[in-house]
Amino acid sequence: MFNESVLKEIDEIKAKYPDRKSALLPSLYVAQREFGWLSHEAMECVSKALNVPEAMVRGTATFYSMYKHRPVGRHVIQLCTNVSCMILGAEKLVDFLGTRYGVQPNGTSRDSRFSLVIMECIGACGTAPAMLVDTDFFDNLSEKRIEEILEKYK
Amino acid sequence: MITLTINEKEVSLDKPVSVLEAARQAGIKIPTLCWHEALKPYGGCRLCVVEVERMPRLQTACTLMAADGMVVKTESETISKVRRGILELLLINHPLDCPYCDKAGECELQDLVNKYGPTVGRYKEEKRKVPESHKDQIFARNMERCVVCTRCVRMCNDQQGASAISIMGRGDHSRMEPFSAASFNCEYCGNCLTVCPVGAILSRLYMHSFRPWQVDSEVETICSYCGVGCSLVVQVRDDSIKRVIPKIGLGVNKGLLCSRGRFGYEYINSQDRLKTPLVRKNGVLEQSTWSEALDLVAERLSSIKKTEGGPAIAGIASPRCSNEDNYVFQKFIRMACGSNNIDSISRTGYAAAQKYFEELLGQGITTNMIEGLKNSEVIFVVGGDPTAVNPILGLSIREASRRGAKIIVLGNAKGLERFKTLQVVPPVFKDAEVLEQLLVSISNARGVRGEKLDVDKGIRALSDKNSGNMDIEGFEELKQALLNSPSTSIVFGMDLVQRTNGHRAIFAAAGLTYLLEARLYLLSDRPNEQGLIDAGCVPEMLPGGRPLNIHDFKRKFETEWGGPIPDEDGKTLFEIIEGAGKKSIKALYIMGENPVFNLPDGTYVKNALQSLDFLVVQDIFLTETARMADVVLPARGWTEKTGTYTNLERRIQLQKKAVNTASGMEDWKIISEISVKMGYKMAYSDAENIMDEIAMVSPLYRDLTYREIGKGNCLWPYHGEPLRGEIHELPAMVDTANVYNAEFYLTLEKPLFHSGTLSRRSPALMKICPEPTLKMSWAAAQKLGLQDGDRAQVLTAAGSSEAPVTIDDSIKDNKVLLSNNFEGKGLFDLLTYKLDPVTRAPGIEGCEVRIIKT
Repeated sequence: MFNESVLKEIDEIKAKYPDRKSALLPSLYVAQREFGWLSHEAMECVSKALNVPEAMVRGTATFYSMYKHRPVGRHVIQLCTNVSCMILGAEKLVDFLGTRYGVQPNGTSRDSRFSLVIMECIGACGTAPAMLVDTDFFDNLSEKRIEEILEKYK
Repeated sequence: MITLTINEKEVSLDKPVSVLEAARQAGIKIPTLCWHEALKPYGGCRLCVVEVERMPRLQTACTLMAADGMVVKTESETISKVRRGILELLLINHPLDCPYCDKAGECELQDLVNKYGPTVGRYKEEKRKVPESHKDQIFARNMERCVVCTRCVRMCNDQQGASAISIMGRGDHSRMEPFSAASFNCEYCGNCLTVCPVGAILSRLYMHSFRPWQVDSEVETICSYCGVGCSLVVQVRDDSIKRVIPKIGLGVNKGLLCSRGRFGYEYINSQDRLKTPLVRKNGVLEQSTWSEALDLVAERLSSIKKTEGGPAIAGIASPRCSNEDNYVFQKFIRMACGSNNIDSISRTGYAAAQKYFEELLGQGITTNMIEGLKNSEVIFVVGGDPTAVNPILGLSIREASRRGAKIIVLGNAKGLERFKTLQVVPPVFKDAEVLEQLLVSISNARGVRGEKLDVDKGIRALSDKNSGNMDIEGFEELKQALLNSPSTSIVFGMDLVQRTNGHRAIFAAAGLTYLLEARLYLLSDRPNEQGLIDAGCVPEMLPGGRPLNIHDFKRKFETEWGGPIPDEDGKTLFEIIEGAGKKSIKALYIMGENPVFNLPDGTYVKNALQSLDFLVVQDIFLTETARMADVVLPARGWTEKTGTYTNLERRIQLQKKAVNTASGMEDWKIISEISVKMGYKMAYSDAENIMDEIAMVSPLYRDLTYREIGKGNCLWPYHGEPLRGEIHELPAMVDTANVYNAEFYLTLEKPLFHSGTLSRRSPALMKICPEPTLKMSWAAAQKLGLQDGDRAQVLTAAGSSEAPVTIDDSIKDNKVLLSNNFEGKGLFDLLTYKLDPVTRAPGIEGCEVRIIKT
């Protein structure tokens, strides 16, 4: 169950929309923030809070790739391997993340510190390769720079 | 008037419809896959594309509205090519396992590919691999075969309103799944089975047991479970029922079914069916022959009649038997046995409520068309969950909600959780008082109507007495909604009848119906409760609702039936049981009923029946009651006999024979043979012959014939004529100012998946719901330290039981609900009753309960 303050937050979201179904996407983000990922329990909570059927909640949630459907690490690295990034060595960076931090694409490191998601273009072709760590953006990546950046994410 | 040309044929339309519908009206078939006549157009599969002049691209006929002057072509080389292309794309992933798939032979994709091709696919990609899921007990889900037409999801959302399944994922990974991705854990209506065009969702009940083309016969009949009387089709092979399917558009249900109707048919082939008559010899029931058993019954009843008089004999009729059975039965009890002691289990609810409602407001007041619910602006639901008791009626309420109607629930109704606009929770067991307060405040706002003086008088008397000072959350909103509604329906469930002050709830509901000019619906959990009353299986009325105490009516029947009808007033159900206990009733004849299990205070009922000199039970199973009988007579059940049933809308429908394997005899036939042996002549050739007699004597069924009934839409006439006699003096309202301050109270749950004796012998229903559960609010569970699924012991003054706990969010008070459907685990063994002084229904409220986690 959500706690009182989360329920209040969802009520505020509901107030913005003409019907309950419209409040589903933002409420799912809240649930994801609270549970770390959209577990069955998280989706049940959203279903109860909005009075929208559970199956509909899950159907909507599984449509969008920005919702997490399995547990993720404390930090999510989203690395682009699309054309520009690929040419400038993004795939090597993927290998580097694997050897240095033990995190594979679509996987989570054993210490639950990082999860890695391979992204399609994040619009930084001019300064490729690029990645997002949680919601922070980084470009001109190299192995060394990645190491420096990830130092800050424990 | 819209006129358009389709394939050079001119088509005129009365009302605007889609091009697809217009073509169908003109007899032109356009292929479809995602379109289904029971669902809204979707435009997903693109197979129905047509060419329309002056439109640049191909158009989907299902979503394009027909317009005046349109010129449409439904077949052309381009169209065929497009259709073939679409099918080829679908076949990239659809496996070619038709020889193994249960759907082959009635698969829409198979038919389409057969017609449009392609014969060879050009795509070389590997097919999607998803193992068939058998994680559900009823449904097999094969997502390799799914073509993502979303018909099942739309059916579940838009028609059934269960919203238990959805399309999960996206693009190539789309698949239909329930929330859990394993068991469906839904209402199990199976309506998704009806609409699936391919073998993606299949019933496990008959999997791989036959092919659709191997069906020997199909019989259109009606369901045997509840008072709605849904039409369904029984498919038979080798004289056994292979499956039950609905027919879109047919009957009151228009092709929708519920779990009981669709999956509950297997009881009829149960191993437990009685095959031969049983006679008690030296205290043990032994197999016997028909002639021995019937002779014995006739001889014993005759001798009791002779020595103790007719009124020492009583009969309990059955709302599961047909009009014909019940008519013959009451005639037998009245004429052959010489007693008016005839009643039925309906006294515990429907018959009790119906009688008082009719006395107050006139005959037929409770029998309204279910369809009318959909057009109501406000639906006020009291005393039960319509979606569980009468699921298909419940669907009309959900439909009304989708159309914008306000659904107001007094008490709780789980199936309307997502559809209700307001829930008003009365203080525990004070529902009648809340209804009275509502009636008074509405009459204060509106004034009385002045048409029915006695009802007006009753309302005024209430106003004088009722201070209206109960402060209930949502009460004002409820009152305003009712006052402002141009069209109101009141759905009245039997929970409020089973109270010692049930008559007060009924009067209040009647008053509201009258003041608001509302439609009234009584929930009926057995298939022929209305028909049973119409047939005269109530102590005070002859067939057609003719009161026995009106001399002219009685004389007319005496002439028709050739003999005197006894003068003594008949006893109601509980008076019969109590009479047996007190030995004033010596012999009891029970047709198709199981009072030991189905009546509250099972121990008392059992003891009472034990004191009888002679007990005859006529049934299809050796029930708890039959085990106590001196003679048990095997009857025929659903699909084994023909007869008519009258549903809660007073619609008379034919239930047809579909198989020939039954070993029992028709109920009416057993009775008429005994009657003849007792010296009262009954010579019926078949059920139709009995209906001919009913049509002659009953003013409600006048001039009815099987031919007419078979055409459907046969409702008994209602001219507002007070045939059953109106009340002229209101019975005094009884004050039951009980204080209910115990921690928890045990009350009855009417579940969706079970009906009792029949459902517990239906393996599919037992798989869906294998045991009773203890339903309680979240708050109650917290207080008791219980979680969903924990087992708990239930202790009352009368006994104890054990069941798993289910948390039900629709329950908002301290009631704990338990059903009465499972052998040895019923609620009725755990509580006692007190009769309502007016309706003579058993009040079962106020049963204090202790719950201990085990």
